[in-house]
Amino acid sequence: MTGLAAGLGDAGAEWLRLSPRSLIVRPLTDLSRLLPLVAALLILHSRIGSYVTWSVLAAVAAVVPGMLHWITTRYKITDERVYLRHGVFNQKVLSVARDRIRTVDVTAHLLYRLLGVCHVTIGTGRNDLRSGHLDLDGMTRTDAESLRLMLLPATAGTAARPAAGGQGAAAASSAGAEYARLRLSWLRFAPLTMTGLVVLGVLFGFVLQLSNATDINLAKTGPVRYLVREFASFSIVERVGVSAPLAMAGYVLIALIGYTAVYWNFRVAGYGADTVRVTRGLLSLRVTAISLSRLRGIEISEPLLLRAAGGAKCIAITTGLRVGKGAEHEGSVLLPPAPRQVAHRVASELLGVPGELARGPLRRHGQAALRRRYIRALTAACLLIAAIEAAAWIRHGPAWVRAGSLLLIPAAVLIAADRYRNLGHRLAGGWLVTMTGSFTRRRSIVGTDAIIGWRIRQTWFQRRLGLMTLTATTAAGHQRYSLRDVPVDVGLAVAAAATSDLIKPFELQPDAKPATKA
Amino acid sequence: MTTERTVQPMPPGLRVPANRISRRAISYWTARAALGGAFVVLVEAAIAVAGGFSAAMGYLIACTFAAVAAHAVIMPRWRYRVHRWEVTDQALYTRSGWFSVHWQIAPISRIQTIDSHRSVGERIFGLANVTATTASAAGPVRIHGLDRELADMLLDQLAVATGQSAGDAT
Repeated sequence: MTGLAAGLGDAGAEWLRLSPRSLIVRPLTDLSRLLPLVAALLILHSRIGSYVTWSVLAAVAAVVPGMLHWITTRYKITDERVYLRHGVFNQKVLSVARDRIRTVDVTAHLLYRLLGVCHVTIGTGRNDLRSGHLDLDGMTRTDAESLRLMLLPATAGTAARPAAGGQGAAAASSAGAEYARLRLSWLRFAPLTMTGLVVLGVLFGFVLQLSNATDINLAKTGPVRYLVREFASFSIVERVGVSAPLAMAGYVLIALIGYTAVYWNFRVAGYGADTVRVTRGLLSLRVTAISLSRLRGIEISEPLLLRAAGGAKCIAITTGLRVGKGAEHEGSVLLPPAPRQVAHRVASELLGVPGELARGPLRRHGQAALRRRYIRALTAACLLIAAIEAAAWIRHGPAWVRAGSLLLIPAAVLIAADRYRNLGHRLAGGWLVTMTGSFTRRRSIVGTDAIIGWRIRQTWFQRRLGLMTLTATTAAGHQRYSLRDVPVDVGLAVAAAATSDLIKPFELQPDAKPATKA
Repeated sequence: MTTERTVQPMPPGLRVPANRISRRAISYWTARAALGGAFVVLVEAAIAVAGGFSAAMGYLIACTFAAVAAHAVIMPRWRYRVHRWEVTDQALYTRSGWFSVHWQIAPISRIQTIDSHRSVGERIFGLANVTATTASAAGPVRIHGLDRELADMLLDQLAVATGQSAGDAT
């Protein structure tokens, strides 16, 4: 990509290959992805008899891409940049400056671990690389370790940044310190997150795929038919009495397994002055190294059930690691579902901020914002009720549906009250704290030096109430952090205080006449 | 200033960006809204014809037509009063929208790319828009409905300005 001519001339660095062991790993992982298909082929074989042809084709399909990948992929690390060259027909060279590297994420699935190789993802602050990553799939473990040490050195010599002085100092004092380690008691939070549901979905999808591929109708197999027949002989009370506890127990079990598999041996520890390492995983290991001076903030997220049980999780706000949906699969998790106090402590210690910011009270957005919460929730509820009533009327639905839909109104009131209670912000010591949400409450602590612009949004309704939604844009995390429905004067004061030089030229001076047409 | 007051009953304490956009944008937006509205009305008419013309359908079409026509007349003029932009040494500053109003401030030093885009419709009306992206995926700043020459000038001016600063706070 960039720097092709200049960079390739660098002396003192050679093009390196991935480990030859990836020649074994990649076909096997590709095959395991095709497992349902392979199973189908095995079963079909008895019926069609063209097993040999198919298996040869499958083997070729699995082996050839892996070989091509290994042959064509090379990487090189110079003093300034990291290069990655790959591609069969269109050879591409990706390069990234080493001072732009934010994170190094090393993962090893079970198969990878058996063969001692791993997958390295280098997270950058660049938008022009697709997904902002450089992927090195199939390095030996020792190579990966030395690469990580080279790119995010234990001594923060290269990563020094004037703006990060405070954070760097905080990190240095606690070098090598352990911030958090998984405790078995945290397992109680496992059923309260969506992880269990996700695992269930994956299992269900796998079974469905298998039954599709093998052309076996599961509903017609012996055991299932037996179960259905037995179940049908119960009365309705017995059915509920039997199936509900069974479903609950199954769900809890799967959630526990999921939590254990993903977060086993979870550990966040300082590593050198500027790096923090997050280690986790039972079968597939994951080690994420995050540069502390590039850590722009932390999000403390509390889904409703987790919040009710006094739990919370922490997610890193940094460039190069994804947040939001699927954050569990990415390296940005700084703390799995754990007691809220631990989340607060980890957040404040990692950022080097007073604990007040992580757990203390926030500035409320006032009566107008409260009114808006109620109006919005009740409007939505009324629209839903109207839709349900209309549908029930047209379809001659049962009366209890029409009566039951009225329950949406107290639900809306509760949600509105909770949303207002959770709405707030605070600006202190170079950190902007925002909190929003009800079903998932998120408290984000973002460094003001990471803010690279402001957006203000006012709908017609907000203008009438004297409110606005102030959004700080940043390159890290969700890319935007909003103060929703904040009073106009309060919001502007926050923006001006957070980035004084940015807002000040555009503030309305009472005596100065605003410029009109140019 | 009276128009300003009616548009902004409660301005958020920021001064209005200095420059208006091209007046031709009103025609462009009107044409676009009219075309989009005509399409919706035509689809409804086609459904009405295909399913046997009923009185309810007639009402629906009449209401849609009224709404679409009102939108095509009011929106562009309202929008023209709101849309403003300004470039200073430090920042790009815009106001856009109509029913909801958006203000954006992006520091020149954080701008990564600047490009200008002309759709077929904009070319017919001699307009262009300028987009400045920052390192934040949420941060692109768009100035719509600029004169074509002005857009080219702005593009050059911003390209020079952004080349002079380092670091992107990522």
